[in-house]
Amino acid sequence: MNRGSGPVVWTGIIASTCLLLFVFQKILWLVVPFLLALIIYYFLQPATNRLVLHGVSHKTAALVTGGSFIALLLLCAVLLSPWVGARIVGWEASLTRYIEGGSRLLLGTMGALEAQFSFLERASLSRNVSEQTAHFTETFAQRHLGDFVVTLAAWLPALLLAPFLAFFFLRDGRRFTRFIARAVPNAFFERTLYLMHEMDRAARGYFQGLISLTILDTVALAIGLWIVGISSPLLLGLVCAVLAWVPYVGSILGCLLVVLVAATDFPLDPWMAYGAIIVFVLVRLLDDFVFMPLTIGRSLNMHPLLTVLMIFVGGAVAGVAGLMLVLPLLGIAMVVGETIGMIVTDERLQARHAHSRRLRARQAAADLQS
Amino acid sequence: MFLFSRQEEFPRLKQLRALSLFSTLSPRELKTVDALLHQRSFIKDEVIFDQGEEGQALYIIESGLVLICRQGQPAAGRIAELGPGRLFGELALLDNSPRVAQARAAENCTLAVLFRADFLGLLQTHALIASKISLQLARHIGQRLRETITAPGSQSE
Repeated sequence: MNRGSGPVVWTGIIASTCLLLFVFQKILWLVVPFLLALIIYYFLQPATNRLVLHGVSHKTAALVTGGSFIALLLLCAVLLSPWVGARIVGWEASLTRYIEGGSRLLLGTMGALEAQFSFLERASLSRNVSEQTAHFTETFAQRHLGDFVVTLAAWLPALLLAPFLAFFFLRDGRRFTRFIARAVPNAFFERTLYLMHEMDRAARGYFQGLISLTILDTVALAIGLWIVGISSPLLLGLVCAVLAWVPYVGSILGCLLVVLVAATDFPLDPWMAYGAIIVFVLVRLLDDFVFMPLTIGRSLNMHPLLTVLMIFVGGAVAGVAGLMLVLPLLGIAMVVGETIGMIVTDERLQARHAHSRRLRARQAAADLQS
Repeated sequence: MFLFSRQEEFPRLKQLRALSLFSTLSPRELKTVDALLHQRSFIKDEVIFDQGEEGQALYIIESGLVLICRQGQPAAGRIAELGPGRLFGELALLDNSPRVAQARAAENCTLAVLFRADFLGLLQTHALIASKISLQLARHIGQRLRETITAPGSQSE
């Protein structure tokens, strides 16, 4: 199909992406499970297709893969719940310990800087930071841990919806396509089918790319942290890779997490924390210049400048949620916008649709004319 | 015995089996194909597709008549009139080249539509079904070729 939309279509694409972001941030309780369900759906889709290829019916394949995934989640929950229950009391102390570790590193670094630069010493930077971090550390757990637990409890039912949504996407996805196609007038039917196929292709490329990127990031960071000697490198790598789904903010949080763990594991050796930061930055660079173009970059086919600008716009319109949602929404808006642009500007299709409506109106009124 | 008795075919599957493209498929395979087909109704004189338009789908006539003609010349440029069971627009399944003729509903008709992306997906997931359809398609194109050779001037897509 002819590709090449004008400024009007592109303005529409960007405006509709912003509008969707604005609306979606109001219904995050529904959007986040939906997004997670899409990720699970595209993660399970290759396994479902493989079963279908081996002669299993589509419904059974969806039931097997979706059911296995839900069963696996339930099994993990059952196995982990006693472990979590036994340790939940100690988490407040652990959290405080990690924050104290981070504060110690910060103060140590400040002290070293003051020793090097006298103007920093005169500004009493170290003392000010020390007072503020001490206050922050003392009250952090009391202030935020309760809120965190309440928020998690409020979000849990919505998050539990995701695997069930994914199962129904797997089972009834095709039926949904046919249902939508039925509502489209004949003149636009082929173009609309093409549009839906392209949307599915773009979304599949993005989410399967995101899964590949997460695996690559996890492995690369885990290897780097293991070489440096940080504890639980695989778990840390996975958490940081998942946090990186949120552009910029996620990376900063991931880096902070790695530094806190390194500073707590090696309280007397700040160079371990600096080493962990270097590993983290190297993996981010690898992610930006090698992994991302190999996985997500290819699927969305967006100009890098537009990607960066839209990430800023997403953050401004809908905060952290906007950062996370802006790229998939823009990808879908691009396909929809370009195809609608093609349909609306195709005078022949419009004329055919008008002709069809006239014919139908005439036939409907045939026996009413005297 | 219920377990060994042949299941009664649904009317829809019987209808599909009557179409030349799906005549070699088993009931189970027909159910798989049926899940991919879209059903469209066209009113007499409605344009189904235009000559030169990029083809995305193959059409199979379930009921009614379809006229294949030169663009905008239903009478003077008439190429063929196809009835139930016949298919047209089949080249769109093989590539995305432009349609070589216009298709119009000669009377109110119902068409089954197989979208190219769905057919390509079928090649990936149900290679046996796709190969049976491809063989029928090749036979159909061969028959069209023979008709074209034996009756010059009567060529359609």
